[in-house]
Amino acid sequence: MKRTNNKCELVVVGGGHAGIEAALVAHKLGIDVVLVSMDIKAIGRMSCNPAIGGLAKGQMVRELDVLGGVMGFFADQATLQSKTLNLSKGRSVWSPRSQIDKIKYEKVVQKHINDVGLSVVEGEVTKINESSGSISSVVFSDGLELFCKAAILTCGTFLNGLIHIGEEKIKAGRLDEKRSEGITESLLSFGFSAGRLKTGTPPRIKKSSVDWSVGLAGYGDKKPKALSYRTKKFLPKDEPCFAFRTNQKTHELILKNLSKSAMYSGETMAAGPRYCPSIEDKVYKFSQNPSHILQLEPEWTNSKQIYVNGFSTSLPEKIQLQCLRSVEGMGSVEFLRPGYAIEYDFFFPSQLKTSLETKGISGLYLAGQINGTSGYEEASAQGLIAGINASQTIFGKPPLLLKRNDAYIGVLIDDLVLKDTNEPYRMFTSRAEYRLQLRASNADQRLLKYSTTLGLLDNNLLSDLNKKNKATQNIVSLLEKENISPNKINTSLSSLGENKISEPVKIAQLLKRPLVEIKTFDLPVFEEIKKSLPSHYEEILFEAETIIKYGGYINRQKEEIEKLKVYEEMFIPYNFNYKDIKSISNEGREKLMSVLPETIGQAQRIPGIRPTDISILLVYLKRSFHVKHKNGEKN
Amino acid sequence: MGTVVACSTPFGSSGIAIVRISGDESHKITSLLINNSSKKNKHNSPTLFSLVDVDGFVYDEAVVNFLFGPNTYTGEDLVEINLHGNPVIIEKTIALCCSYGATAAPGGEFTKRAFLNGKMDMSQAESVASLISSKSILGAKLSYKNLRGSLLKNILAIKKNIVTTIGQIEFNLDISEEDLQPNLMSDSVKAIDVCVNTLHPAIESFDAVNILTAGATVVLAGPTNAGKSTLFNTLLKKDRAIVSEIAGTTRDVLENTINIEGVPCVLKDTAGIRKTKNVVEKIGVKKSNEEILSADLVLYLGPSGSVLSSENNNVIYVHNKMDLGKGKKEYDISISALTGENIYSLKKLILKKVTSEFSDHGFIITSQRQLFCLVSTKKQLVKAKNSLLNFSGLELVVEDLNAALTSLDEITNKTTKDDVLDSVFSSFCVGK
Repeated sequence: MKRTNNKCELVVVGGGHAGIEAALVAHKLGIDVVLVSMDIKAIGRMSCNPAIGGLAKGQMVRELDVLGGVMGFFADQATLQSKTLNLSKGRSVWSPRSQIDKIKYEKVVQKHINDVGLSVVEGEVTKINESSGSISSVVFSDGLELFCKAAILTCGTFLNGLIHIGEEKIKAGRLDEKRSEGITESLLSFGFSAGRLKTGTPPRIKKSSVDWSVGLAGYGDKKPKALSYRTKKFLPKDEPCFAFRTNQKTHELILKNLSKSAMYSGETMAAGPRYCPSIEDKVYKFSQNPSHILQLEPEWTNSKQIYVNGFSTSLPEKIQLQCLRSVEGMGSVEFLRPGYAIEYDFFFPSQLKTSLETKGISGLYLAGQINGTSGYEEASAQGLIAGINASQTIFGKPPLLLKRNDAYIGVLIDDLVLKDTNEPYRMFTSRAEYRLQLRASNADQRLLKYSTTLGLLDNNLLSDLNKKNKATQNIVSLLEKENISPNKINTSLSSLGENKISEPVKIAQLLKRPLVEIKTFDLPVFEEIKKSLPSHYEEILFEAETIIKYGGYINRQKEEIEKLKVYEEMFIPYNFNYKDIKSISNEGREKLMSVLPETIGQAQRIPGIRPTDISILLVYLKRSFHVKHKNGEKN
Repeated sequence: MGTVVACSTPFGSSGIAIVRISGDESHKITSLLINNSSKKNKHNSPTLFSLVDVDGFVYDEAVVNFLFGPNTYTGEDLVEINLHGNPVIIEKTIALCCSYGATAAPGGEFTKRAFLNGKMDMSQAESVASLISSKSILGAKLSYKNLRGSLLKNILAIKKNIVTTIGQIEFNLDISEEDLQPNLMSDSVKAIDVCVNTLHPAIESFDAVNILTAGATVVLAGPTNAGKSTLFNTLLKKDRAIVSEIAGTTRDVLENTINIEGVPCVLKDTAGIRKTKNVVEKIGVKKSNEEILSADLVLYLGPSGSVLSSENNNVIYVHNKMDLGKGKKEYDISISALTGENIYSLKKLILKKVTSEFSDHGFIITSQRQLFCLVSTKKQLVKAKNSLLNFSGLELVVEDLNAALTSLDEITNKTTKDDVLDSVFSSFCVGK
């Protein structure tokens, strides 16, 4: 779409997952936004695995959906298989994941952008301009200048991208796609500091070159559930993925050629076992494992190209092939594309505020892999928040700041702005200390209040979800209040192998027993809900059951959150002079001055800050805190 | 933090008293006090000075030691003034310091500053308090050990064990493509058992340690005119309590410490228990009952059949006045407080009743707060183990283990909460 003028309110640079969320949410909020992409046919492209969601990531997709994001909604329209992961573990770590038809996904994204009338410009942004500390324009490689009130940079792995396949090096953003140059240098000239990160992708192989009878077919759930509340009908295909296993011979080959891998380096070695992207790392670090699983996944419907999940590598092409051919059933496998590692520029995210606006230039936001993250969902989450907050700034309203107990997205951003990373940041459930509350199934209960205030959802959906949540709450209070008599429940209890009761007991109390389910109780109110909210019936009962079963733990967490709240709300002035505090440790002072935490709560979470540093900081802050109070201002 | 001043030696007349001043202004303030602004002070070289008041009149001579931070107890600039232990002189010196800009330090302020300046951690700070108040040599030794970081080392070892277990479980929660590690459950249960077994003796020995550091409370109780006050005086070897033939002479609770073979015992003489209409005596009787309730040991001067008005299981039934007649079966021991007969055996018996088996196995705690934290840690660990054995969900196991860590954190205080801080330091005496 051609622009008739060289002015807009918001420019989003990059058409990946972050850029799409940012541009679409701003557009929906009524901002005049321009999405700039180097290749408009590549907008919405999934560079790596053909799946959306997964452990901790599925939770984020659900959160995005409630906050007006599009990723889940688009994924539902291109699903090849839908599955809930981690079902053998507790329900707070159950995570939805969808295998995706990548070609279909791109089409869905591009059609939607077209349908809603979002302005898209093809071109390469190479420079930004500021005036008196605020963003003023972005400049294209052909010299064209686009003036704006705010800009969001979502350049992904394209900033000075360098692909490694063994010793071979190719300048590119993705294999066969041009990299982006100029923005890094432009930002450096404003005093931002950048680093380099590496990530990898596995080989793509010919479907016809595999003996499929060897693989173990894995199918999706019998009752698949959509990722998005906006999806009305969800009838996905159920295409299987096939599991193959590496063996001792594969491992020997990899270890023998370790020195030829670009991914294998001292730095990646140092990271803990939770971050093991490449097969080189897996084989080296878990040498006690005789075998690793390779999931062979289709990339689209009737795909002749297969994605080898679990075999991310940057070994030379010949050795990759040799290794894969040692796997049973893949003896004569052929490549369509080798696996590779890509190295790219990122900007240390401690240069950002929690709103994702840069501390250095107001109106400038960074989102996605440019902040050192890895993964579609992590990128989308940041894109959405940056899009919302850039819009809020343009409206002159306060930003949306999600807390760690609100959402995985809150955990993600809090971690990013406080902890500089030396490796791509991937979300894990263990990063969320309040994960019992951050379930895929209750994203709406947690976040609806924000979408309501900010106008992120359609009114129909909003009132529908509100009704659903109210019904859930009503059932919970009913179960906590009502007694059940022994003669009504003892038969069911004995058949479950549970102890009988001798006198009436609160239903909630019985429900806390591991084997008792909510459906063990046949209450008339269930029937009412089934009638009034048929599409949410199952979800409401499941949630009510979860809330009660987890009740003890969640209440303890809530008490903890309440205790810490005072620190989260104790703001540190932006211009606070840490040099004035002599008794603070040198290391602590340096960290505080580099991160400039917004609250005491954040300061406590900065790695390397000692509790005594915080105590001293508190002593100093309380002084000015009291002065403020005396002047009649509120805390 | 401003500059504070306090007297570090007990209040009262003494040969020498030490006034300490700590903070950025401490050297400047002292210079005004000794009227010696010209000289450059050297670190840790005690020198004799005259102390002068505002008008320049000398009121005492003192040895003054200037110390430069961070190599001081508090980590700040510090001055120690060794002056004559006359309360009037001490008061005057402190008042002068205050008029020059210092503030009077509340109890524990010096140690609190040492903590805030990173000179010691919470468990060490507590050891200082317990070292000061320790009533036996062994108790002092134990407190000193913790001050040198022995408790911290023990806690860190347990923490490391818990953190490793959490790491193992998290790995299984976050990496789904691999199946559960075969030994995860049994390894985790084993690791938790190790932690519990380490905590157990520390918790169990607390009462014994507490008797060594704080002393055992031994309450003398019984009907009026049984000779409690006579026994009190005999045990103390001095006439502390008023003794008369009139029943109900003792009204208030009298207190004094004796040392039985190194174990401190705080003896308390109480009002005899009887029905009385006298208001003052009534209050005395009520107090007696309270003391009996909280005592480590009760010496009851009466037969075991008699009903103690308050519950306490640790009682020695003493037959007094054996010089006047023989005791019966319902007594544990017969003595004569008046003649001192059998007092030695009574002391032996007291010692036996207040000291339980105690051997220093290297992991001891010295405060109620530490006990509370360890008990709650143990409780959470047991809960985690049960969650593991019942397959209640790995993420719940992690919750329990995290709660255990939080409890441990409160001992060494890695997660500072200023309310905990305040409550710990408020138990200090002034000047430390």
